[in-house]
Amino acid sequence: MLTGSKTTFKVRQMLPDIKERMLSQSGVNARSRDVFGLRCLPGECVLQRAVMVRKKLTAREGRGWLSGTLFCTHFRVAFVPQDSPKPDDNADPVLLGDHDVALASIDKVVVVGPNRTKLVTPNSSLKFTPEELVLYCRDMRVICFLFDRLTPDAQVIEITYTIAKTYQPLKPGSVLSFQNAALGSVEMKQFLSNRRRDTHMNWFESTSDWEQELERCGASGWRVSSVNDRFEMSTSLPRFIVVPQKVLDTELKKSFSHFNEGRIPRWCWRHPRGSDLLRTASFQNNIYHEKDDIRNLEMILFGCQSSLCVVVELGEELPSPADIQLAHSRLRALCLGDISTSVSVPDDKWLSTLESTHWLDYTRSCLRKASEVACLLRGGHLTVALQEAEDRDVSCVVSSLVQVMCDPHCRTQRGFQGLVQKEWVMAGHRFYSRINYHRDNDKEEAPVFLLFLDCVWQLWSQYPSRFQLTEDFLLALHDSVQLPLFSSFLANCQRERCKRSQNHGQSYTPVNGWRDGPHPDSSSDPCDPPLPPVWDWALQYSKHRQDRFTQPVPPSPPLQPLLNGNLNTNPDTHKLTDTIPGSVFLFSRGTFSCPANLLPWRSTSSGIYKKSHRRAPSSEGVPSLERLLKAWALTEIPQGLTSNSGSQGPLDPFEPLLPVLMGPCMGLWKECYLRGALHAQAFSHPISANHPHPVERLAAEVQALKDKLSQASAGPDVKPPIKTAERRLTDANLNQNTNNGTFLFPASRPHGTCVSRVTAPPTSTNHQHASSRGRPPTTAAPSRSSHRDNSSKHTFLFGHSSSTEARPDQRYHPAPNTAKLPKSNGSVAS
Amino acid sequence: MEKSGSIDSLGSKRSSSRQPSVDSLSSTSTSRSDRSAQAKPPSAMSSDSMSTSAEFSPELRVKPKTAVKQVLRDSEKEEPQLLPNETVQDMAQDITYFCPFTGAVRGTVMVTNYRLFFKSTDREPAFVLDLPLGVVSRVEKIGGASSRGDVSYGLVCKDMRNLRFAHKQMEDTLRKSIFEVLIKFAFPVSNGLQIFAFEYGQVFPENGWKVYDAISEYKRQGIPNESWRITKINDHYELCDTYPSTLAVPVNIPDEELRRVAAFRAKGRIPVLSWIHPESQATVTRCSQPMVGVNGKRSKEDEKYLQAIMDANAQSHKLFIFDVRPCVNAAANKKNGGGYESEDAYQNAELVFLDIHNIHVMRESLRKLKDVVYPNIEDSHWLSNLESTHWLEHIKLILAGALRIADKVESGKTSVVVHCSDGWDRTAQLTSLAMLMLDSHYRTIRGFEVLLEKEWLSFGHRFQLRIGHGDKNHTDADRSPVFIQFVDCVWQLTRQFPAAFEFNEYFLVTILDHLYSCLFGTFLCNSEQQRLKEEIPKRTVSLWSYINSQLEDFTNPLYVNYSNHVLFPVVSLRHLELWVGYYIRWNPRMRPQEPVHQRYKELLAKRAELQKRVDELQREVTNRSASSSERAGSPTRSITPVQTFV
Repeated sequence: MLTGSKTTFKVRQMLPDIKERMLSQSGVNARSRDVFGLRCLPGECVLQRAVMVRKKLTAREGRGWLSGTLFCTHFRVAFVPQDSPKPDDNADPVLLGDHDVALASIDKVVVVGPNRTKLVTPNSSLKFTPEELVLYCRDMRVICFLFDRLTPDAQVIEITYTIAKTYQPLKPGSVLSFQNAALGSVEMKQFLSNRRRDTHMNWFESTSDWEQELERCGASGWRVSSVNDRFEMSTSLPRFIVVPQKVLDTELKKSFSHFNEGRIPRWCWRHPRGSDLLRTASFQNNIYHEKDDIRNLEMILFGCQSSLCVVVELGEELPSPADIQLAHSRLRALCLGDISTSVSVPDDKWLSTLESTHWLDYTRSCLRKASEVACLLRGGHLTVALQEAEDRDVSCVVSSLVQVMCDPHCRTQRGFQGLVQKEWVMAGHRFYSRINYHRDNDKEEAPVFLLFLDCVWQLWSQYPSRFQLTEDFLLALHDSVQLPLFSSFLANCQRERCKRSQNHGQSYTPVNGWRDGPHPDSSSDPCDPPLPPVWDWALQYSKHRQDRFTQPVPPSPPLQPLLNGNLNTNPDTHKLTDTIPGSVFLFSRGTFSCPANLLPWRSTSSGIYKKSHRRAPSSEGVPSLERLLKAWALTEIPQGLTSNSGSQGPLDPFEPLLPVLMGPCMGLWKECYLRGALHAQAFSHPISANHPHPVERLAAEVQALKDKLSQASAGPDVKPPIKTAERRLTDANLNQNTNNGTFLFPASRPHGTCVSRVTAPPTSTNHQHASSRGRPPTTAAPSRSSHRDNSSKHTFLFGHSSSTEARPDQRYHPAPNTAKLPKSNGSVAS
Repeated sequence: MEKSGSIDSLGSKRSSSRQPSVDSLSSTSTSRSDRSAQAKPPSAMSSDSMSTSAEFSPELRVKPKTAVKQVLRDSEKEEPQLLPNETVQDMAQDITYFCPFTGAVRGTVMVTNYRLFFKSTDREPAFVLDLPLGVVSRVEKIGGASSRGDVSYGLVCKDMRNLRFAHKQMEDTLRKSIFEVLIKFAFPVSNGLQIFAFEYGQVFPENGWKVYDAISEYKRQGIPNESWRITKINDHYELCDTYPSTLAVPVNIPDEELRRVAAFRAKGRIPVLSWIHPESQATVTRCSQPMVGVNGKRSKEDEKYLQAIMDANAQSHKLFIFDVRPCVNAAANKKNGGGYESEDAYQNAELVFLDIHNIHVMRESLRKLKDVVYPNIEDSHWLSNLESTHWLEHIKLILAGALRIADKVESGKTSVVVHCSDGWDRTAQLTSLAMLMLDSHYRTIRGFEVLLEKEWLSFGHRFQLRIGHGDKNHTDADRSPVFIQFVDCVWQLTRQFPAAFEFNEYFLVTILDHLYSCLFGTFLCNSEQQRLKEEIPKRTVSLWSYINSQLEDFTNPLYVNYSNHVLFPVVSLRHLELWVGYYIRWNPRMRPQEPVHQRYKELLAKRAELQKRVDELQREVTNRSASSSERAGSPTRSITPVQTFV
């Protein structure tokens, strides 16, 4: 291993090298690599580095410590582990490595000295040499670096200052300069504009995208209208909207003015039993309803269902954006503690303080509303219109939750991405204002989308095996929201995105709406860099981390990619036969009613419809609907799940996943919110383990066996590759242990000795656990016997076997030969 | 750092990272799976029935050796299969059961000498309630509540539920209500009857009474060795009547001195070895409080004895005495002649108080918990209501205490002495939890049985008094959920280390169910001596006989045998959870959302099957390549079986 003195010697020679900066800025060596192994983005230069730094690993990363070099560029704080492989200079640029944090994600910088903790601001000066650097991130990660005795003091202080000065202070233009740092170089722009978008997901940008969705849902009777192509009808609606076939564009045009912001009822989704889900803003009341208008309005609202429409009012029972913002900031304060004083809520008040954030109440109310709507839709042929005043916040939450509950396709990664495109990005959720990247619009800030992700997580945690996507995916999406780099989140509606994209190439459609002037330092063209969509995961996550976004084995019952709304109708479900065609009910607070002014044009002032619908607010209709809902409320759990598990054939895949909403069943998303909580460091070790669901692991193993079987049956010739692959897996595991073990810090501080006692959690693919004192990573093919020798040693078990087998190179990057894991081999083959 | 919590001091002066890392795995991803461990095979479950006790009782699982006589001819399949020697005592029609979840149900009730069986007559499928009478804590007649002349009875149960029945006023006043009959058999001890365990004659393939043998357990730990010996001084329970006959003590303390030490320890419960570290020889020893009294009495023998315990461990020149009680309570005990060791008298010993409250506080806490979870849960104030019971806080303190003990032994290589007042409640909790963290053997099914037999049963946790088997005196101040609390702590550990335990949640629930059921003799009596006197092993069946005869039901499919791993759980309340699978299991809405347990089993079966096919094909391929040996370069080594983690 490298000795400290040798390393520091090198550093002194190199540091701070202005020439190097100039070189990397000039773009000549765009794919430059820092001498310590940091692969810079084109145009990115290292401002400061510190050697012999240890990074505290979270449970998700396998726990323990990792030694390496810490960098600060004007885009990120990067950490390169000591023994990581040399990066491939020809590979595509990756914005963030596994251990990196974007500067824009950093919320607070705290240093821990011998006896004190200090919040570092751009202007503060340090009177002591920090031993520990803690970065609190906006996404609630907490990243902790420890400075070794071998780290030169000057480097420690310098890098702390550098990070404090360059991380995103709340000043105008910072977001733009951050974007330019990441994406502003000529090479990067070129790279991004040549990037292909994922064709496996629906982007809902063109007419054909929408038609594809209509076909997928088997929604006949609807068509895609381009009446809003130039955003003349509604500025916040997408260019294409789905409306009933029988309504002509000319008729449609007249109806926009009847709704807030012109957000007329639009089709979102069709339940396989033939019910349609619509979204709409509230009615404009002070408008005269002409006879023709009314006919059109009714047609739009009823869609293809002539019988029944239920308007679900979302405003009353669901939290307002301000509520959500308050709850989230409380939750954040609770989970992270008071950063500057390192005081957190005492344990005995934890539960009541958590309750008083109301965050769980809000997730519950969203899930409850969505469950009700899911049950309504399941009931049969009706139209359910979600109505919110502006139709841009909780209606996004509810409409997409309904689809996650009812449509297995939305529980796959691509399907979910499409869903977010459809119900959030295109539907005009005001991401830009709600996330408040510039910190200049606090009134509008509200993490509505994060609330939605929490709701999805609740569903996932109650039905893990019915999801193809995993918690890792949800976390990745959660963290990406805080990164001001993605076109998906940097605009309030499609119109803003389109405006911006006109300045750029075709590929990405970035945002307009900056109020900042161009950054003075940006040497390239004054225009903002093109922004990628968030779904381009390869920009952020390495392949092996992306692999963890989905379950290795498809969930059971198998996903059915095609739904057919007309065939799947179940005849013996409650058909609302006793309701009068054309009835409209309001669903609110769990009951149905027919207020006279529900549809403004039906109220007394406009007499035309009064006559034909005198009997419309039928009192008989109400109880029948209520009965329907009550029946559902009682059997909250789909009967199929509990009574016949497995043996009696797959369930109806469209049975909604109805979550149990009782107090004890609403969990806190600890993997997300408690990732870096202070209390976890009582033993100075990160906690909050994460691992794939045990069933997933078992499933992965069954898959591995299946692969093996296919290999074996294909004949002996195929065997060698899997043999080596198997072997590599073991190696990687062993290396992981060694990485964590003594040989990294043989002569570190006394308290470092604990490291030597720590072994990585045994991996599930490996019965024997390797001891901490393994061999160096480069040594290949450890013998089984060496395992056995060590296994008699007394070792610790930190948590249950973590998922390391699925990502053996989390801490140890495999040697550059391209051996793959058996799993990926298998999936490629099959 | 958070201010609360004794864990902080665990980190002691040496900086944080000196401590071994601790971990928590309270990932929600596993929560469902664990909860569903309680899910039973679908066959045993009528979709409407909320009573799971039926599913948990053994007769549905083990086929009785003898054909069970069919008592009710006209019965359908829903009638209970009576156990051997179970006899019907009374039956009644037209009984109303007021289910707090689904409303009133009408049906018939049957009372035997073991159970109450209710079956609905007005529902399809039938609603069934099968309740071992042992769980009944009290029966209240709620007379005159109904104007229509109904008589109503409330059954308060030990397992977190209350049941209410009603029937018409008896026209024949001489005839006793079925619930009067129930009272007789629910409290056999108070009524001069025998507990059903003495009549239950089921024979199982395994004999659970052979699970624990003190000598062989000490032998497994390497005792006797050069520092510890096994003494037979208590062979006739003369030294201490609540201790087992076999004790392990330091080699250089002769038996006569033990008697003098016993005189100085409450109830004669001298410090004896519970567990010894296989490498460092650091030990966990347990005892009762020293009889210090208000005058600060000392005992030279006791001081020498503790010195001997310390000297037996060459790795450390220190001894930690963990007094499990809060400091105030320990001091208050001086009035009754008890107290705690003074550091002046015991050189090199450090006394630590663990702040765990007494049995009365715990009983009150569980009572509050029951109020909060049964029958209705107030969603909007769930968390603060839960907090106000302090149940999880007590769990946390117990786990934190056990963690400190384990940490001292493992990381500090220091021997520890653990005691409370009498050394049979909190001491048992802490030593057994610490041993569970330290020794992977106790995390197997048989090892856990040994742990219970050793630390709880043989060392005299007073099960009879704490549970009150067959005793109608439900207000007895000696009752306390000490053992339930321990099992809860074990469950918390299994949540944080899902692959480290061979048993599943259903195993823990089964143990708790039969703690009350009085079907097995395991938890009867207060001490080894009493059990011997009552000839419990001869006259009753052991719970372990039943469990070990069908291990597959209790096995955690994800178990990995991490031998020699020490578990350090995270004891922050942020990472503890209420054991809903036990405390809230009567609520039908708490049923697991997914039969994950089922999927484990399916996948395990699938894996076994595939592994077999791989092996077969492999053999075939090897044979083929052997016969056509001209093929060059084909690999000759057979593929090693896929490494498994289960």
